[in-house]
This record gives sequence, C-alpha cells and structure tokens, in this order.
Amino acid sequence: MKIENEEALDRLIICQQCHTLHEEIPIKDGTKAVCTECGSMLYHYDSRLVDNGLAWSITGLIFFIVANSFPLVNIELLGHEQFITIFKTFLSLFDSGYYLVGLMSLFLIFLFPLMIFLINIILFTLLKLKKAPQFTKELLILFSHIKPWSMSDIFLISVLVALVKLIGYAQIHMGVSFWALAIFVAIDLYITKRIHISEIWMLRKRIFENKGNR
Amino acid sequence: MIEIDENALIRCPVCEAVNISTGDETLCHRCGSRISNQKSSTQKAWAYLITAIIAYIPANLYPMLITKQFGMIEGSTILGGVVTLWEHGSYPIAAIIFFASIVIPVMKFLILIYLLISVKYPIGKDKKVDKHKLYYMTEAVGPWSMIDVFVVAILAALIHLANVEIVAGTAATAFAISVFFTLLAAHAFDERLIK
Repeated sequence: MKIENEEALDRLIICQQCHTLHEEIPIKDGTKAVCTECGSMLYHYDSRLVDNGLAWSITGLIFFIVANSFPLVNIELLGHEQFITIFKTFLSLFDSGYYLVGLMSLFLIFLFPLMIFLINIILFTLLKLKKAPQFTKELLILFSHIKPWSMSDIFLISVLVALVKLIGYAQIHMGVSFWALAIFVAIDLYITKRIHISEIWMLRKRIFENKGNR
Repeated sequence: MIEIDENALIRCPVCEAVNISTGDETLCHRCGSRISNQKSSTQKAWAYLITAIIAYIPANLYPMLITKQFGMIEGSTILGGVVTLWEHGSYPIAAIIFFASIVIPVMKFLILIYLLISVKYPIGKDKKVDKHKLYYMTEAVGPWSMIDVFVVAILAALIHLANVEIVAGTAATAFAISVFFTLLAAHAFDERLIK
C-alpha cells in the first residue's frame, strides 16, 4: 500500500469493532459510512456538526443541572416520607464510612458526566469561533480519557432497579430529577451515537488548515 | 510516496487516528499520545486483571447489603440477594442483577484471560474478527457491572428510618474495586496484540 505523506494517514480509518482498514470517501450531507466487514458505523458527515453539537450539549447541561437540583424519588415507608437527590446518594455512602465507593460514585455519576458536557460546550464554541487550536486538541484528548468513565446511564437503570426492589414495601413517587436525568441520559446517548470523536478531530483539522495552520 | 505495510497501521486509542507503527513505541501524529508499548501493556493488563479477580472474591463472600429491621441485622451477599429476589417473584430484576454482578464480571475475566493468553500462545488464530468483536463487547458491557453498587447506594440513601435501615456492606467496596480494575485492565490491553 502506498500513501503520499503522513498527512494522508488522516484519510484512513480503522473500524472500531473489527479493525478493518478503510479509506475515507466524501459522502452526502447527513449520511453515514459503515464498515463493509461488520456493518458498524465509521463516520457521519454533517455540515452543521458544530451548531448541532453545541445546541445538544447546552440542552444536556441544563437537564443535568435540573437533575442534580431536585429530588429523584420520594417514597412513603411506614408512614415516613423519604426522598433522595443524586447528591444524597454520595453523602449517605460517606456517612456510613464507605469513602472509596462514595468517591467513585461522585466521579462516575457527577463529575465525569458534568465534565463531558462542559468540555463539549467549550470545544464546540471554540471550533465555532475558529480559535485556540492547541487548547481544542487538549480538550479532545481529555474527552477521550473521561468518556468511558461517565456512567449516568447506568445510574438511571440502577434507580429503576432499586425502586422495583421497593415495590410492595413503600409508596413510590418519581421526582422531577428522575425525568430530567432520563432526558439527560437520552441526550448523552444521542450525542455519543451521533458525534464520533474522530469526526471532531477531522473537523478541527479542516478548520485550522483553512486558517493557514496557525 | 511512502511505501507502508498495511499490517503496520495502528489506531490511536485516544483519538482514533491511523498511525504507522514504528516498532515498540509510537507517538500519535494527531494527538501526541503514546500508543502503548506492546510488552508493558500485556503486563499491565495482567496486573490489573489479577487485582480485579482477587477483589472479586471478598465481593461475593461479604454482604453487599445490610438490612437493620427492628433490631434484627441481616446481611445479604450478591448471590443471596439474587436468590431472594427470585423467590419473591421479581424475575426481571433478579436477572438484571445476576447478569450485571455475576455473568458480566466473570465473562470479562474469562475473555480477558483468553485474549491475554492468545497474545502469547497461538490459540484461535484463524478467527480474527471474532476476537476483535469479543474485546469490543467486553469494553462496551463492562461498566454495567456497577449497577449493583449504585443500587446499594440508592437504597442506603433512601431507607434510613429509626426502625428500618439499609446500609452498604463490605462487599460494595470490594466489588467497586473489582469493577474499577477490570475496566483498567480492558483499557490497558493493547488491541493490536489480537492477531
């Protein structure tokens, strides 16, 4: 196989799932390219990637803030009313001396998801303004390191599992935060599915190349 | 024009750029991350994996959830919890917990052991695609083991009345450590070693 120079490497793409080598080809706006071997998604082309990404990230952040500000669920047990917020989950672990699990949960369900959305917002804003090539690079690297450790979706399912365990013992009322969290998770999943990290790298390259490689 | 060997092309684990492998250690041309050295990556993966397996033992022996009800203290282990749920007829929840806390971690251990051994010894050489899929699956499914830990945290936060109280048990810490190290092991494993 022959290529012109190292730059041309960026036109190659290795499938995430089966490791087949592909060459990137231009595709129509709004369509996606899939792997010929295993059918998994390789990349999308979306001419409004920055705007869409920014809009979705801001929406997600708003729902994240709501999800963290109100009670997740209220229960009535033996005549007592109890409620939890996301933060109370960490606090109760700290209270009973489970610092390690508490700290892990704090990172996995609060700090990392928050950071992911903040990084996205800053990143897309900078790309929109076509500024700070070095900083966007560092943000992208940080994003890749954090992404696998963001577990909001798993927490949402855990809430449901915990509630099902309580059915029969207690009266359960879903709180505002629960729905906000569910929407946040849906947005998070949508962004992950829709915007592939390599697409942002390619976009970044196009943007800063046009500006004459600052 | 540069002549390159297709087999020498590797994907950067951080930014997914395609790079030409230059032997032991390659720096990604796009993001500058070090694309790990093959030998040390296997050793790291083994170390993390063994730590995870060791932590998984107390995670199953000690109680995950302690229920204090009118002075009676009762602890239930992961498997015990699954059995109780099953007996109460909550089959879907019992199945979810069983999968998340027992099937997924054990499968992950076995798959990683298999992949790590197959790096050194030629087993299953002709099935290239399958192994990549296997690795991708363990990566994707792995974090779901955390369900049980989160459930315990939620229940502990929700139920603390004067007479009825739920507290997390020792196994929660052990289990969280086990999941954490399994994830580290999967990340440390160098996908290029799958041949």
